[in-house]
Amino acid sequence: MKKPILLLWSALLFGLVLPAAAHHSAAQFNFQTPVSVKGVIKEFRMANPHMRLVLAVEDTKGARDIEFEGHSLNNLYRRGWRKDMVKVGETLTISIAPRKDGGDGGYVLSVKTADGKEF
Amino acid sequence: MRTVIIIAALCALLSPGAQAKDAPPDFSGIWTWFGSGPGRADPTAGWPKEPPFTKEAQEKVAAYRALVAPRGDTPGGHCVGTGMPGSMLGSGGYPMEIIQRPGQITVIYEAHTEIRRIYIGAPQVDPADQVPSRNGYSTGRWQGDTLVVETAFLKEAVDQAAAHSEDAKVVERYRLGKDEKGEKLLTAELTLTDPRFYTRPVTVTKKWRPLANGRMMLYECSEPEWEDHLEALRKEAAPK
Repeated sequence: MKKPILLLWSALLFGLVLPAAAHHSAAQFNFQTPVSVKGVIKEFRMANPHMRLVLAVEDTKGARDIEFEGHSLNNLYRRGWRKDMVKVGETLTISIAPRKDGGDGGYVLSVKTADGKEF
Repeated sequence: MRTVIIIAALCALLSPGAQAKDAPPDFSGIWTWFGSGPGRADPTAGWPKEPPFTKEAQEKVAAYRALVAPRGDTPGGHCVGTGMPGSMLGSGGYPMEIIQRPGQITVIYEAHTEIRRIYIGAPQVDPADQVPSRNGYSTGRWQGDTLVVETAFLKEAVDQAAAHSEDAKVVERYRLGKDEKGEKLLTAELTLTDPRFYTRPVTVTKKWRPLANGRMMLYECSEPEWEDHLEALRKEAAPK
């Protein structure tokens, strides 16, 4: 899993992994074992220093809203994100570094929209 | 005929080739790191994992790290730039823009829009008039094709890998070259000297290549908090 490790290093190096509201680092996420999550977009905010995403997810634990965070607007733009690519109400599949404490949420590594666009 | 000769002579004088003979190299442009693209680690600028800290530095850095460890707080998470030398060593994951004119070279690091002004040939500022800051005060001079930049008046910083005291002095030596493929390459050797925090100077080398699309982006970091604040105000103002 070379890519997630590089992303983590970048994140730690620049302190960029910190959502403005939470102000914490990437140390809480496990970048060694990415997992896939699918859900309906309830909220999406592309911003610096972090993007924020809320998905309505239904799995073995039940139906609930889960908040995720990810890289910055600037970095994700350079990795292929464009305005209006992610729309509230649509289904999204994401690869995340899950929380080390096993709780809901995680750090978004990649995104695939319902119509197949990826970044 | 005479007019043609005069125009030709003027053109020759004003052409970039004619100016380049005596002019220093032009570092202007948008630079990204030598690594493999945005968001990727840069293999060219490794600050030592165990820097040769003095006892004072060890204690201060350990105290800071213990303080922020529970929540993993960082300056960047609070929309604060890294400061020198971290701003320079980290640049490239987010691009760096250099704007060059004879008396001043301006360096803009996209992340947190950190700006450094490198004054060349400017009168010295009385130290009593200097205010220490995260990126300090930089002066530059040309040694042949090499730009030598000296930075001082830095605020003490324990919140970056290259922690340093207010006594720190940073010297950078920039030069243009080409990589093994013959493509443009900017290289800088950076030395941090700080007897209060380091038992010996630390030197690292950093490389950048031109950014493919050559475009900087705005890095507006505290906008989400402002938007949240506005939203809270709207809710407060809404009829109950």
